[in-house]
Amino acid sequence: MADEYDFLFKIVLIGDSGVGKSNILGRFTRNEFNLESKSTIGVEFATRTVTVDGKVIKAQIWDTAGQERYRAITAAYYRGAVGALLMYDISKPETYEGVNRWLNELREHAVSQIVIMLVGNKCDLKHLRAVSTDEARQFAEEKKLLFIETSALDATNVELAFQNILTEIYRQHAEQTTLQADFAQIKPSQGQTISFTQQPDESKSSCC
Amino acid sequence: MRRQPEMAEVDRTEYVFGENGGLGAPSSSFFRRIASMAPQPSDEDESDTFQRTVGAGYTYADQIAPNKIKRTKSRQDKHKGRRGSYFDLDDDWDANVEHNLVDGAKFKKSLAGQAMESAESLAFAECEEMNNRISRIRRFQAVLDAPIVDLAHLKKLSYTGVPEELRPKTWQLLLGYLAPNGERRERTLAKKRQEYHNGVQQVFNTGLDEQMWHQISIDVPRTNPHIKLYSHPIIQKALERILYLWAIRHPASGYVQGINDLVTPFIQTFLQPHVEHASVDDLDPETVPQQSMRDIEADAYWCLTKLLDGIQDNYIHAQPGIHKQVAQLQDLCTRLDRNLVEHLRSEGIEFMQFSFRWMNCLLMREVPMGCTIRIWDTYISEGPQGFSAFHVYVCAAFLNYWKEQIKVKDFQDIMVFLQALPTADWTEKEVELILSEAFLFQTLYKTGSAHLK
Ligand SMILES: Nc1nc2c(ncn2[C@@H]2O[C@H](COP(=O)(O)OP(=O)(O)OP(=O)(O)O)[C@@H](O)[C@H]2O)c(=O)[nH]1
Ligand SMILES: [Mg+2]
Repeated sequence: MADEYDFLFKIVLIGDSGVGKSNILGRFTRNEFNLESKSTIGVEFATRTVTVDGKVIKAQIWDTAGQERYRAITAAYYRGAVGALLMYDISKPETYEGVNRWLNELREHAVSQIVIMLVGNKCDLKHLRAVSTDEARQFAEEKKLLFIETSALDATNVELAFQNILTEIYRQHAEQTTLQADFAQIKPSQGQTISFTQQPDESKSSCC
Repeated sequence: MRRQPEMAEVDRTEYVFGENGGLGAPSSSFFRRIASMAPQPSDEDESDTFQRTVGAGYTYADQIAPNKIKRTKSRQDKHKGRRGSYFDLDDDWDANVEHNLVDGAKFKKSLAGQAMESAESLAFAECEEMNNRISRIRRFQAVLDAPIVDLAHLKKLSYTGVPEELRPKTWQLLLGYLAPNGERRERTLAKKRQEYHNGVQQVFNTGLDEQMWHQISIDVPRTNPHIKLYSHPIIQKALERILYLWAIRHPASGYVQGINDLVTPFIQTFLQPHVEHASVDDLDPETVPQQSMRDIEADAYWCLTKLLDGIQDNYIHAQPGIHKQVAQLQDLCTRLDRNLVEHLRSEGIEFMQFSFRWMNCLLMREVPMGCTIRIWDTYISEGPQGFSAFHVYVCAAFLNYWKEQIKVKDFQDIMVFLQALPTADWTEKEVELILSEAFLFQTLYKTGSAHLK
């Protein structure tokens, strides 16, 4: 059953292991949260459709494994992604310090105009907060990233995070191109998902 | 046959009939196939039993028999003075079967004639299965009790599944952890266990590798969260120690996510003898004597080590073992069903996307624990190649199993389908079908393609 949508955006979830990538995805796509979910091995995939500026947008989301050892295989999934949620855990400063490494990964493997949102997750853990909101926001501004704090546990800002990044992607691409709908007709080109990869920058990203 | 709820009311053993009765054609053909392919045992008596076991469909025995045996035991308790070990209890065994039949007959009066007939034939099959199971346990026991265990023989027996109660010892022998020489066994075992605990003390007394420890400590609570046993601190602490010691001792790979899964079939299996009635899934580890728990932990560590020795390439930098296996899987599937592979390709699906986890976690994330344990019986008896080369054939059979569903789905639906396959209700029956097919593929393609070795 082919569902209808105007645009299909491929988004990746990245960040250190345990920051809550799988849970934010579960919250967004199935409204589920699991205190003890299994770790992600390789990648997992889910979709959800939302409306932005009256257009139906389907988000195709790739949740990647956070452990360093998996970097080689997860980086392949950046190809064709138009958005990235770069997550850290507000109660674990090491995961925030890891953000720069993830930015480098993106620079190396993703298209240059990819929209990146820095996401401080687990904001429900107020008493354990170790990364201040202001510091993270300022860092995001410097690096030209969107920024938000979320909680997959109590659902704070989860909708908003995805809505914001999808809106930003939509606007940027609407500016750049007059993309006509029916992406359903387009078959993925390199065994990857359908996305905005039919862009001038594609050549740059295909090195991986 | 559909499971009839009333059956449970008549007699607890009847329940077993309803749920597990009947000899599935696929599984019995599996054994026929294996029987015709496997090298026949040399002495005549043995080959005869092998055939009989095969023909009567040993398949369900492992599921059925634990209930049966426990029942038999409790009957023994009631009738004091009966014989001790159930291994030489033919009379009692038969009595129990009769008992089933009588109760079954009472029940059958309320059923239509057709159901009656099928129940009767089931009862007969059931009886056959039990007898086969008993003789099978005896065969294992005979091999295991020998002064020097004949490993080749044990492998041959184990290939088609190990009886639950003999699994700990069988696995430990086949993995090369227990010495085949019975005389030396106890002493080396005690030494190994001590060595483990000394190792643990040592690594936790010298400064922690923070990063490694961090990863282990966030993965342990995320290990088998669907099984209650693993939420208990006693088990979680044991997992932490096992994984951390292994990681420190194997710096080329260190701890890699997924290895936490691999230790659990050992924990599960070695705890099994401590479970009286319920499933080991719900065991309260506090009821296990502390010393036993310590021993189980050490045994699980060493068996994990043996297992991982054979597949280290899966976990070292860049995970070359997995890349190789994914390529082999794709290659094999292309030979088996070009249309399936072509469909995947045209939908933009790469084998890496769905089978990486199959390799990294040995299909553990795809099938229930009981199925994994049964698969491991075969892997362990395959020797060092079981968890690598043969696993690829199993993955091919596994993918093949779903091919009709896959062929009518598009990219998105295939991805969603393959990452959460509907295997929750799987039993050994499905797994043995997969294993039999894998065995067939191996026989067909192993010699044909050198690079698949
Ligand atoms: N308190 C709180 N806990 C969370 C939140 N999100 C996730 N967690 C918990 O953090 C742990 C890790 O979450 P996962 O979603 O598995 O983390 P991940 O980033 O996907 O980890 P990897 O798959 O290993 O890369 C789990 O125990 C979650 O229950 C949150 O918003 N608040
Ligand atoms: Mg995850």
